[in-house]
Amino acid sequence: MKADKNTVSFTLNGELKTFATEPDEKLLTLLRREGYRGTKYGCGQGTCGACTMILDGRAVYACLLYAKQAEGRSVRTIESAGTFEEPVEFQKELIAAGAVQCGYCIPGMVMSATALMETETVFEDEIVREYMDGNLCRCTGYEKIWIALRKVLDRREAADKTGRNSPAKGAK
Amino acid sequence: MKDERAGKFKQVNHSVTKIDALQLALGKDSYVADFVPRGALIIKMLWSPHPHANIRSIDVSIAEKMPGIKAVLWHGNVPRVAHCTAGQGFPEPSPYDTFMFDRKVRFVGDRVAAVAAETEEQALAAVAAIKVEYELLTPVFSLDEAMAKDAPVIHDEPEAHVPIPIPYEPKKNLVAHVACEAGDFEKGMKEADFRFDETFETPYAQHCPIEPYTTLAQIAPSGRIHITTSTQVPFHCRRIVALTLGIPVQKIRVIKPRIGGGFGCKQEILLEDVTAMFALRTGKPCFWQFNREETFRTGRTRHPFRVRIRAGVKKDGTISAIAMDAINNTGAYGGHGLTVVSCAGSKVLPLYHCENIHFDGKSYYTNLPVGGAYRGFGATQAFFAMESVMDEMAEAIGMDPMAFRQLNHIRSGEGSPIFAALGEGREGTPMTVGSNALAECIVKGAGAIGWQNRADWRTKTGRYRRGIGMACLMQGSSIPDIDMGSASIKINEDGSFNLNIGATDLGTGSDTVLAQIAAEELETTTDKMIVYSSDTDMTPFDVGAYASSTTYLSGEAVRKAAADAKRQILFTGAEMLGLKVEEVHCEDAHVLNEDGSKKVSYGDIASYSLYQKNQYQIIGTASHITKKSPPPFAAHFAEIEVDTWTGFIRVLNYVSTIDCGTAINPALCEGQTEGGTLNGISYALTEQYLFKNGRMMNASFADYHIYSMRDRPRVQAILVPSYEETGPFGAKSVSEICINGPAPVFANAIHNATGARIREFPFTPDKVLAAIQTVQKK
Amino acid sequence: MKLCEFIRPASLSEARAVLSELGPKGMALAGGTALHFMQTKTPVAAVDITRLGLSYIRQEGDFFAIGATTPLSDIQRHRGHGWAMHEIARNISTHQIRNVSTIGGNICRVFPWADLPVVLLAMNARMVIYTGSEKEEEVAADDYFAAQPAKRFHGGNILTAVKVPVLKARQGFGSVKASRNAAAFSLVTVAALLELKDGKIKTARVSAGSAIPFPHRLPSVETALIGREAVSAVFKEAAAKSGADANWCAREGMSEDYTRQLAEVSLADALEKAAAYANGRTE
Repeated sequence: MKADKNTVSFTLNGELKTFATEPDEKLLTLLRREGYRGTKYGCGQGTCGACTMILDGRAVYACLLYAKQAEGRSVRTIESAGTFEEPVEFQKELIAAGAVQCGYCIPGMVMSATALMETETVFEDEIVREYMDGNLCRCTGYEKIWIALRKVLDRREAADKTGRNSPAKGAK
Repeated sequence: MKDERAGKFKQVNHSVTKIDALQLALGKDSYVADFVPRGALIIKMLWSPHPHANIRSIDVSIAEKMPGIKAVLWHGNVPRVAHCTAGQGFPEPSPYDTFMFDRKVRFVGDRVAAVAAETEEQALAAVAAIKVEYELLTPVFSLDEAMAKDAPVIHDEPEAHVPIPIPYEPKKNLVAHVACEAGDFEKGMKEADFRFDETFETPYAQHCPIEPYTTLAQIAPSGRIHITTSTQVPFHCRRIVALTLGIPVQKIRVIKPRIGGGFGCKQEILLEDVTAMFALRTGKPCFWQFNREETFRTGRTRHPFRVRIRAGVKKDGTISAIAMDAINNTGAYGGHGLTVVSCAGSKVLPLYHCENIHFDGKSYYTNLPVGGAYRGFGATQAFFAMESVMDEMAEAIGMDPMAFRQLNHIRSGEGSPIFAALGEGREGTPMTVGSNALAECIVKGAGAIGWQNRADWRTKTGRYRRGIGMACLMQGSSIPDIDMGSASIKINEDGSFNLNIGATDLGTGSDTVLAQIAAEELETTTDKMIVYSSDTDMTPFDVGAYASSTTYLSGEAVRKAAADAKRQILFTGAEMLGLKVEEVHCEDAHVLNEDGSKKVSYGDIASYSLYQKNQYQIIGTASHITKKSPPPFAAHFAEIEVDTWTGFIRVLNYVSTIDCGTAINPALCEGQTEGGTLNGISYALTEQYLFKNGRMMNASFADYHIYSMRDRPRVQAILVPSYEETGPFGAKSVSEICINGPAPVFANAIHNATGARIREFPFTPDKVLAAIQTVQKK
Repeated sequence: MKLCEFIRPASLSEARAVLSELGPKGMALAGGTALHFMQTKTPVAAVDITRLGLSYIRQEGDFFAIGATTPLSDIQRHRGHGWAMHEIARNISTHQIRNVSTIGGNICRVFPWADLPVVLLAMNARMVIYTGSEKEEEVAADDYFAAQPAKRFHGGNILTAVKVPVLKARQGFGSVKASRNAAAFSLVTVAALLELKDGKIKTARVSAGSAIPFPHRLPSVETALIGREAVSAVFKEAAAKSGADANWCAREGMSEDYTRQLAEVSLADALEKAAAYANGRTE
């Protein structure tokens, strides 16, 4: 099956979309061109994490993916996480903790944390650090970002203990 | 010690929510690249591949005809105006040694020619098609090479000059020279029981803001040029673009939206001249964003330094003499060379009592990346040397290094001859230290790290050895008599205020901090402030974000402007209540009489004054120049573990105490301290520029190592309050000082772990291992 | 790496046919994270092989079969008795890269910094290659990594799986990746597979990479281990023999001699880990 050379179709934040593209275009370029500018350019080389988005449930770098690699898949960007009226829990905690300084890394952090929370149910420090190790921040020293994240994760773990009894996926 | 006044604050000294945090967390359009209109041209630059060469010829004829190319710029078609790219007050204490495009290139990454095209691909193709003939010149790659007799002259252009009378000898590659004396250094050395003469080297580093340099320039419908740029210095940018393009300041508007970090590297006019020139030439919006490689190579850097400390100490712990000879490598252009080397002396030498001080600072050109303003600004490099020698002096006299510092550090009410002698490029300002909680910082930090568990290195064995080290630090708050900030604040009919400030928020949260100050002064709440900042058309002047001046300098301007508005509010409020002005006061966004029986809200006062009677706009305006630069103080402590078989270092614990006077926003102060300290930690341990023939070879985050959440050492920030009478609500600066700690702290901790004294960093494992093996051989 | 076309074949045989026809103008694409490091003058057609069912980890008898397009993060998460691949996988690059970068992508074209070849050599893995015929070719690691494997795939052949032996009782695996920080390329990566019998080393496979031009085994180290007791002094002595096999390179501005010292300590550490594993270490 050869898709049309100059378009790509994928589910973007829950909606099926078709965009004009070229084989050589990176997903980051396409997203920003189409108005999804919360995903940012920091290095274009897959090292800083400012362009983190979620592809089929996994956190990935939009700057390294060719747009065509997203064909038929599910893409979620920061635009799917929270609104002015209802920020997501992690955004609220980041703000409350004073963890947002220049803010450039924050959308990427939110997306990586979202992937973590959707994949794991037990959040040991070591595992959390592995999930977050691809998002660089130069302003905060990560301290308040970590505190905000731990708050959200601790709450989830506590809720999970009293709630469902699902086996921990990939723990350890 | 928290002043009792601080206990009464309603807005300041509270961790008020950062005003822009939500929009940033949601990923809303905030940064320059989010505002690029469709159809904007993309700029790409041809960078010099050579460290030192004359350009014999440039042929752009093919490039300019290529598809999508709208304009090409090179030395042949732009004005030749000598200027300085550093964002500083005018006239700058710097050589005017830069041209938009020159006939010479002076480092790998220097400008050669640029294109503006419809797409990035077209721009890159055109850049590749520009033909340049170079005449290679012998490059200068080190201080020793720069200082050598008959060294190649990097700036031989006749136009290079300094706008104020300061030493500048480009024929010797000498960019700056500043010196001062107090007492009699030689006499002081003779009096000493132990004498030291050690030389230290510090490396290149880059600020690594996650948002690279980014600029957008457009021609407004009025014909003026609007520049939206990621800058720390919008007003200096406007002035310098006007100068280099040969157009009036009136024609230019510079706007700083949110920016993704600066740390000093964006205190520079590095993109805006070319971007604006392209906009003028093409009539279209033009966008230029450095990629990460360009940010490393062409972006500004930390000045490498050679610091020689000679010092004498007596058995009783008196420091009888200190000489600091500091030389920095400012790279291919001289912008911040003088001011950075001045701060090596001015921000370090006053810390300890000493009657006999000698300082000599020099700055030299090399054909390497250009030094710029980087958080700490020379103090960082000099503290590495000074705080290492402090430990060596303590050891010589058998005194605990902490006790030695406690004995000698400056106290409240004391001055230093250095304050008057050394400013930033000019003489300084005599000053006595007001607020000073350093003694408490030391005790608190020592307690948190477990200083009492510190043991001598000779007792340590085995593969993994632990060590504890410390350093005391100071910085400054603003540049007295040179920098100015201003603010205006007007009321709206719902009791909200528009606070317009020139001051530049780089992500530090200054918009919020200044709003808190305004709200405190006005007796209202921070959420009533609508802050607009850093727009040269709409906001009054401010020098910008550098020299740790925003809270202390711009904050006082804001407080004064708020006080000005408050007077008007009281006047009108009294009128509305039928009382005399002396009979009323402000409280909780109301004007009321003494017993509160009569009151009127700010909203009603605004409505009345805007619409109803004796109408006028309540608006306060004020400017401020500081008269002193009160130092924040800090004591840093760390415990490390050294793998004596590989030289790898693990940071087990780092404590970063800070006296910033009143912390206007404690959470933001902690954030600055945590972030700046971690930056200092990777500067000391993992960051470096690896060169090959002058080309920086590790220009990506894959090869230039900064920490992620996975491997970062944790930093414990401890705010130690004091009250600075001359600062708004007792505040001093907070952002720079913390980055000064890690390099000397680790040097001292490595010694405490292994007996090895290392005088250059980063403390890469090979250096550490070699130093340990040298000790073990003895 | 510029792409001129994006082809998504529906089957393995179609993929091979397309790649074979395209020759140097085509390239198999899995995660694509390595493309950043590859420059070509003319644009290339990408042949997407990620939707051909080659992403899996399953035990097949005495082997774990890992599909060639299995992302490193799946390898990082997988656990099983006698499985040790997660140890290196969790230390490669960053989370977002591990989610996209595949085991196949890491070993079809070996870059000097690659960690997986070191581990696969030590483990005596087997690479499964589709050559167009019904029976796939199996190549042992020693043979596969004897030269740049990229050459094997020029005719359109496709790596479909990596088979890693299930570690038996008394077998132990240990690896060490020394780097300046968590996401950094390795300064030196070493791996060891030991089989113990009565406290002595019966067989040893020791390999290194990243600090040498191309990953390979260290036969002098292996020889110095066989028949000896599995103790620190022996490991140190054997590690010191590595210079006979390895051309240690200067790394990140540090000298060759430093690399040698680091490698020797790392080898000893890896051997300790392998011995501990053989003696019952679980994590």
